[in-house]
Amino acid sequence: MEALIKPEIGLMFWTIACFVLLALLLSRTAWRPLLQAVEERERAIKHDRHTAETARAEAEKLKAELDAKLAELKAEISSRMDEARLSAEREKDLLIEEARKSAGVIIESSRREIEAQKNEAARDLKNKVAELSVLAAERILLHQLDHRANTDLASKYLAELEKERPELKLGGN
Amino acid sequence: MDLKALLEHHVTDQIWARIPFGPIDLPLSKHLLMMGIASAILLIVFPLIIRSRSAALAPFRGMIEATVLFLRDEVVVPNMGHKGAAYTGYFATLFFFILLMNLIGLVPYGATATGNLAVTGGLALTTFVLINFTGIREQGLLGYFAHLVPKGVPLWLYPLMFPIELLGLFIKTFALCIRLFANMIAGHIVILVFICFIFIFGAFSSIFGFLVAPVSIGLVLFTLLLELLVAFLQAYIFVTLTAIFTGAAMHPH
Repeated sequence: MEALIKPEIGLMFWTIACFVLLALLLSRTAWRPLLQAVEERERAIKHDRHTAETARAEAEKLKAELDAKLAELKAEISSRMDEARLSAEREKDLLIEEARKSAGVIIESSRREIEAQKNEAARDLKNKVAELSVLAAERILLHQLDHRANTDLASKYLAELEKERPELKLGGN
Repeated sequence: MDLKALLEHHVTDQIWARIPFGPIDLPLSKHLLMMGIASAILLIVFPLIIRSRSAALAPFRGMIEATVLFLRDEVVVPNMGHKGAAYTGYFATLFFFILLMNLIGLVPYGATATGNLAVTGGLALTTFVLINFTGIREQGLLGYFAHLVPKGVPLWLYPLMFPIELLGLFIKTFALCIRLFANMIAGHIVILVFICFIFIFGAFSSIFGFLVAPVSIGLVLFTLLLELLVAFLQAYIFVTLTAIFTGAAMHPH
């Protein structure tokens, strides 16, 4: 049983030699490529994350910029709309005013025309009535020349009538 | 049945030949063969798995990678600081070397090389050298021995503390050697004892033997699973303690 607890020096030597050799060889053949691959992957992951974060920050900045621009545009649009509405209002007022003015002018000129026409018509009428009266009188005179007295009477009545109702006075004004 | 001979046959080394080599003679033995198999696996299979890009080997690559990263991030760096990361390869070799020797002991016809005091002693000796080497490299020869006694110890205690700490250095590594050896051997002895129960009870009467056999086999299976756990656990403990001792030698505060 003492073989169990009596260390064999030669085997100890083997162990140490074996282990030292393994440690030297494996660090070159196994652990270095393994750790290199791991580090490369870690670096790649870090790089990817960094890139993604940068891209995200960029996108956020861009979005903020666009938002600002949009708000600006909205404000401008609303101001332009207000301006346009105001100018349209002004234009409308102006047009109405002008129309009113020109309508007034037309009305005025029509009134004047009417007045002139009326005067003309009155003058014509007076002339025609005078002529008719003269013709009627002529006929009457032709029929009743001998009745001089009637003529006198007629003119006398006419004069009376004219005096009583001056508006019927022919060829007045 | 001779239990002593049985135990010796299964647990101790079998030396087949001796090669004289200076003052010592180098044995060719079963445990050496097992160590050789473990070394061959480490030397041939591991680099193959790590360097290959084939998808079939990817799970094994992942297992090795996870273990090495665990050793680096949870064992080496916390105990030895970031300078210690350079020693990751050493600790990975140590871990897989011990683990493979432990596991080969669980395979039929295999023997547990780590259940041999010479093997664990050799490993502990490399740890001893590593502790002192990194300590002296980190702090210088004088600084290393000056910091051997922990800070805060009164000056008059130094003559007492210095020899104790110096002795502690040896005891730490000696404990490493004994711990691994005892843990690896204990399971085997327990398994052998459980199997021997069958024959001991069978010697009284064969009915007794048949009754005890299933119980014994169940217990043997349980112990075997326990040994599987212990194989991993002891490899981890050996590496962790080596890292702790080395870290303490590198950073005395």
